[in-house]
Amino acid sequence: MKNRLKVLRAERDWTQAQLADALDVSRQTVNAIETGKFDPSLPLAFRAARLFGMRIEEIFHDPALDAACPSVGTEIKAGR
Amino acid sequence: MNQPKSRENAYELRSRTNVLRLFRWNGAWAVATALMVFGPKFLWKNALVFTVLAVALDVAVGIGMILVNKKYLADLDELQRKVQLNSMGITLGVGLIAGAPFSVLDSYHVIPFHADIASLLILMSLTFAVSNLYGRWRYR
Repeated sequence: MKNRLKVLRAERDWTQAQLADALDVSRQTVNAIETGKFDPSLPLAFRAARLFGMRIEEIFHDPALDAACPSVGTEIKAGR
Repeated sequence: MNQPKSRENAYELRSRTNVLRLFRWNGAWAVATALMVFGPKFLWKNALVFTVLAVALDVAVGIGMILVNKKYLADLDELQRKVQLNSMGITLGVGLIAGAPFSVLDSYHVIPFHADIASLLILMSLTFAVSNLYGRWRYR
Protein backbone atom coordinates (compact mmCIF):
# COMPACT_ATOMS: atom_id res chain seq x y z
CA MET A 1 0.00 0.00 0.00
CA LYS A 2 1.37 3.40 -0.98
CA ASN A 3 0.23 6.74 0.33
CA ARG A 4 0.66 10.49 -0.10
CA LEU A 5 0.68 11.27 3.60
CA LYS A 6 4.19 12.71 3.62
CA VAL A 7 3.49 14.96 0.62
CA LEU A 8 0.16 16.17 2.03
CA ARG A 9 1.78 16.86 5.39
CA ALA A 10 4.67 18.73 3.78
CA GLU A 11 2.24 20.82 1.69
CA ARG A 12 0.65 22.01 4.91
CA ASP A 13 3.99 22.45 6.65
CA TRP A 14 3.03 20.08 9.45
CA THR A 15 5.49 18.04 11.46
CA GLN A 16 5.00 14.31 12.03
CA ALA A 17 4.23 15.11 15.66
CA GLN A 18 1.46 17.54 14.66
CA LEU A 19 -0.06 15.04 12.26
CA ALA A 20 0.20 12.32 14.92
CA ASP A 21 -1.61 14.58 17.36
CA ALA A 22 -4.36 15.33 14.87
CA LEU A 23 -4.84 11.62 14.13
CA ASP A 24 -4.50 10.64 17.83
CA VAL A 25 -1.66 8.21 17.20
CA SER A 26 2.04 8.14 18.07
CA ARG A 27 4.63 9.92 15.93
CA GLN A 28 6.19 6.50 15.31
CA THR A 29 2.94 5.33 13.74
CA VAL A 30 2.83 8.32 11.38
CA ASN A 31 6.43 7.65 10.40
CA ALA A 32 5.76 3.93 9.85
CA ILE A 33 2.78 4.74 7.61
CA GLU A 34 4.67 7.39 5.64
CA THR A 35 7.58 5.04 5.00
CA GLY A 36 5.24 2.20 4.00
CA LYS A 37 6.25 -0.06 6.88
CA PHE A 38 2.74 -0.16 8.28
CA ASP A 39 -0.68 0.00 6.64
CA PRO A 40 -3.32 1.87 8.65
CA SER A 41 -6.69 0.41 9.53
CA LEU A 42 -9.78 1.66 7.72
CA PRO A 43 -10.87 3.90 10.66
CA LEU A 44 -7.44 5.55 10.76
CA ALA A 45 -7.43 5.97 6.97
CA PHE A 46 -10.86 7.64 7.26
CA ARG A 47 -9.53 9.98 9.96
CA ALA A 48 -6.62 10.94 7.70
CA ALA A 49 -8.98 11.49 4.78
CA ARG A 50 -11.25 13.68 6.92
CA LEU A 51 -8.27 15.65 8.22
CA PHE A 52 -7.00 16.43 4.72
CA GLY A 53 -10.49 16.93 3.30
CA MET A 54 -9.94 14.20 0.71
CA ARG A 55 -11.21 10.75 -0.11
CA ILE A 56 -9.29 7.71 1.15
CA GLU A 57 -8.34 6.60 -2.36
CA GLU A 58 -6.82 10.02 -3.03
CA ILE A 59 -4.37 9.39 -0.16
CA PHE A 60 -3.89 5.63 -0.12
CA HIS A 61 -3.60 3.36 -3.11
CA ASP A 62 -2.51 -0.18 -3.90
CA PRO A 63 0.09 -0.31 -6.73
CA ALA A 64 -0.77 -3.97 -7.39
CA LEU A 65 -4.42 -3.04 -7.94
CA ASP A 66 -3.42 -0.11 -10.15
CA ALA A 67 -1.32 -2.47 -12.29
CA ALA A 68 -4.05 -5.11 -12.49
CA CYS A 69 -6.93 -2.72 -13.16
CA PRO A 70 -5.52 0.60 -14.47
CA SER A 71 -9.01 1.78 -15.38
CA VAL A 72 -10.05 1.70 -11.72
CA GLY A 73 -7.24 4.06 -10.76
CA THR A 74 -8.09 6.39 -13.62
CA GLU A 75 -11.76 6.44 -12.63
CA ILE A 76 -10.90 7.17 -9.01
CA LYS A 77 -8.64 10.05 -9.99
CA ALA A 78 -11.36 11.37 -12.26
CA GLY A 79 -13.84 11.21 -9.37
CA ARG A 80 -16.14 8.68 -11.03
CA MET B 1 -7.94 23.40 6.82
CA ASN B 2 -6.80 24.29 10.30
CA GLN B 3 -3.26 23.39 11.27
CA PRO B 4 -3.19 20.77 14.05
CA LYS B 5 -2.29 22.25 17.41
CA SER B 6 1.37 22.00 18.36
CA ARG B 7 0.64 21.14 22.02
CA GLU B 8 2.04 17.93 23.43
CA ASN B 9 0.68 14.88 21.63
CA ALA B 10 -2.43 13.83 23.55
CA TYR B 11 -1.94 10.20 22.58
CA GLU B 12 1.63 10.09 23.87
CA LEU B 13 0.62 11.88 27.08
CA ARG B 14 -2.17 9.36 27.65
CA SER B 15 0.18 6.50 26.83
CA ARG B 16 2.82 7.76 29.28
CA THR B 17 0.20 8.02 32.04
CA ASN B 18 -0.89 4.44 31.34
CA VAL B 19 2.73 3.19 31.32
CA LEU B 20 3.39 4.84 34.68
CA ARG B 21 0.18 3.38 36.12
CA LEU B 22 1.13 -0.07 34.78
CA PHE B 23 4.64 0.31 36.19
CA ARG B 24 3.23 1.12 39.65
CA TRP B 25 0.86 -1.87 39.56
CA ASN B 26 3.66 -4.17 38.36
CA GLY B 27 5.80 -2.94 41.25
CA ALA B 28 2.94 -3.47 43.72
CA TRP B 29 2.39 -6.98 42.39
CA ALA B 30 6.12 -7.79 42.69
CA VAL B 31 6.07 -6.58 46.30
CA ALA B 32 2.88 -8.53 47.07
CA THR B 33 4.40 -11.66 45.49
CA ALA B 34 7.61 -11.26 47.48
CA LEU B 35 5.52 -10.85 50.63
CA MET B 36 3.57 -14.00 49.80
CA VAL B 37 6.74 -16.02 49.07
CA PHE B 38 9.04 -14.80 51.84
CA GLY B 39 6.55 -13.59 54.46
CA PRO B 40 5.66 -17.00 55.94
CA LYS B 41 9.32 -17.79 56.60
CA PHE B 42 10.79 -14.43 57.52
CA LEU B 43 7.94 -12.27 58.83
CA TRP B 44 5.18 -14.26 60.49
CA LYS B 45 6.70 -17.70 61.18
CA ASN B 46 4.21 -19.68 59.09
CA ALA B 47 1.08 -18.27 60.76
CA LEU B 48 -1.66 -19.58 58.45
CA VAL B 49 -3.95 -16.53 58.69
CA PHE B 50 -1.24 -14.15 57.51
CA THR B 51 -0.23 -16.52 54.70
CA VAL B 52 -3.82 -16.70 53.45
CA LEU B 53 -4.10 -12.91 53.67
CA ALA B 54 -0.83 -12.51 51.74
CA VAL B 55 -2.09 -14.86 49.01
CA ALA B 56 -5.40 -12.95 48.84
CA LEU B 57 -3.51 -9.66 48.60
CA ASP B 58 -1.28 -11.03 45.83
CA VAL B 59 -4.28 -12.26 43.84
CA ALA B 60 -6.15 -8.96 44.34
CA VAL B 61 -3.17 -6.85 43.24
CA GLY B 62 -2.62 -9.27 40.34
CA ILE B 63 -6.19 -8.76 39.15
CA GLY B 64 -5.71 -4.99 39.40
CA MET B 65 -2.52 -5.29 37.35
CA ILE B 66 -4.33 -7.29 34.67
CA LEU B 67 -7.08 -4.65 34.43
CA VAL B 68 -4.55 -1.82 34.21
CA ASN B 69 -2.65 -3.75 31.54
CA LYS B 70 -5.91 -4.25 29.63
CA LYS B 71 -6.58 -0.52 29.68
CA TYR B 72 -2.99 0.17 28.62
CA LEU B 73 -3.42 -2.12 25.60
CA ALA B 74 -6.84 -0.68 24.74
CA ASP B 75 -5.45 2.87 24.72
CA LEU B 76 -2.53 2.05 22.43
CA ASP B 77 -2.70 3.08 18.80
CA GLU B 78 -2.91 0.33 16.20
CA LEU B 79 0.81 0.10 15.45
CA GLN B 80 1.80 -0.09 19.11
CA ARG B 81 -0.95 -2.64 19.70
CA LYS B 82 0.42 -4.72 16.80
CA VAL B 83 3.91 -4.60 18.34
CA GLN B 84 2.50 -5.69 21.72
CA LEU B 85 0.42 -8.44 20.13
CA ASN B 86 3.45 -9.80 18.26
CA SER B 87 5.51 -9.73 21.46
CA MET B 88 2.80 -11.49 23.45
CA GLY B 89 2.36 -14.12 20.72
CA ILE B 90 6.10 -14.86 20.60
CA THR B 91 6.27 -14.95 24.41
CA LEU B 92 3.34 -17.36 24.65
CA GLY B 93 4.89 -19.59 22.00
CA VAL B 94 8.31 -19.61 23.65
CA GLY B 95 6.68 -20.28 27.03
CA LEU B 96 4.81 -23.28 25.67
CA ILE B 97 7.65 -24.64 23.56
CA ALA B 98 10.25 -24.24 26.30
CA GLY B 99 7.99 -25.04 29.27
CA ALA B 100 6.80 -28.51 28.27
CA PRO B 101 10.25 -29.97 27.43
CA PHE B 102 11.73 -28.27 30.52
CA SER B 103 9.17 -30.06 32.71
CA VAL B 104 9.76 -33.41 30.93
CA LEU B 105 13.53 -33.07 31.32
CA ASP B 106 13.02 -32.50 35.03
CA SER B 107 10.58 -35.42 35.37
CA TYR B 108 13.06 -37.85 33.84
CA HIS B 109 16.02 -36.34 35.74
CA VAL B 110 17.81 -35.36 32.55
CA ILE B 111 18.68 -31.97 34.01
CA PRO B 112 20.54 -31.88 37.32
CA PHE B 113 18.26 -29.23 38.86
CA HIS B 114 14.56 -28.74 39.60
CA ALA B 115 12.52 -27.13 36.78
CA ASP B 116 11.50 -24.07 38.75
CA ILE B 117 8.59 -21.99 37.41
CA ALA B 118 10.72 -18.89 38.08
CA SER B 119 13.11 -19.98 35.28
CA LEU B 120 10.21 -20.08 32.85
CA LEU B 121 8.95 -16.67 34.03
CA ILE B 122 12.41 -15.18 33.52
CA LEU B 123 12.65 -16.71 30.03
CA MET B 124 9.20 -15.37 29.12
CA SER B 125 10.02 -11.91 30.50
CA LEU B 126 13.25 -11.74 28.50
CA THR B 127 11.49 -13.02 25.37
CA PHE B 128 8.81 -10.35 25.73
CA ALA B 129 11.38 -7.59 26.30
CA VAL B 130 13.51 -8.60 23.31
CA SER B 131 10.58 -9.08 20.92
CA ASN B 132 9.06 -5.79 22.07
CA LEU B 133 12.31 -3.91 21.49
CA TYR B 134 12.66 -5.59 18.09
CA GLY B 135 9.12 -4.54 17.15
CA ARG B 136 9.78 -0.93 18.16
CA TRP B 137 13.05 -0.94 16.21
CA ARG B 138 11.38 -2.48 13.16
CA TYR B 139 8.79 0.29 12.89
CA ARG B 140 10.99 3.13 14.11
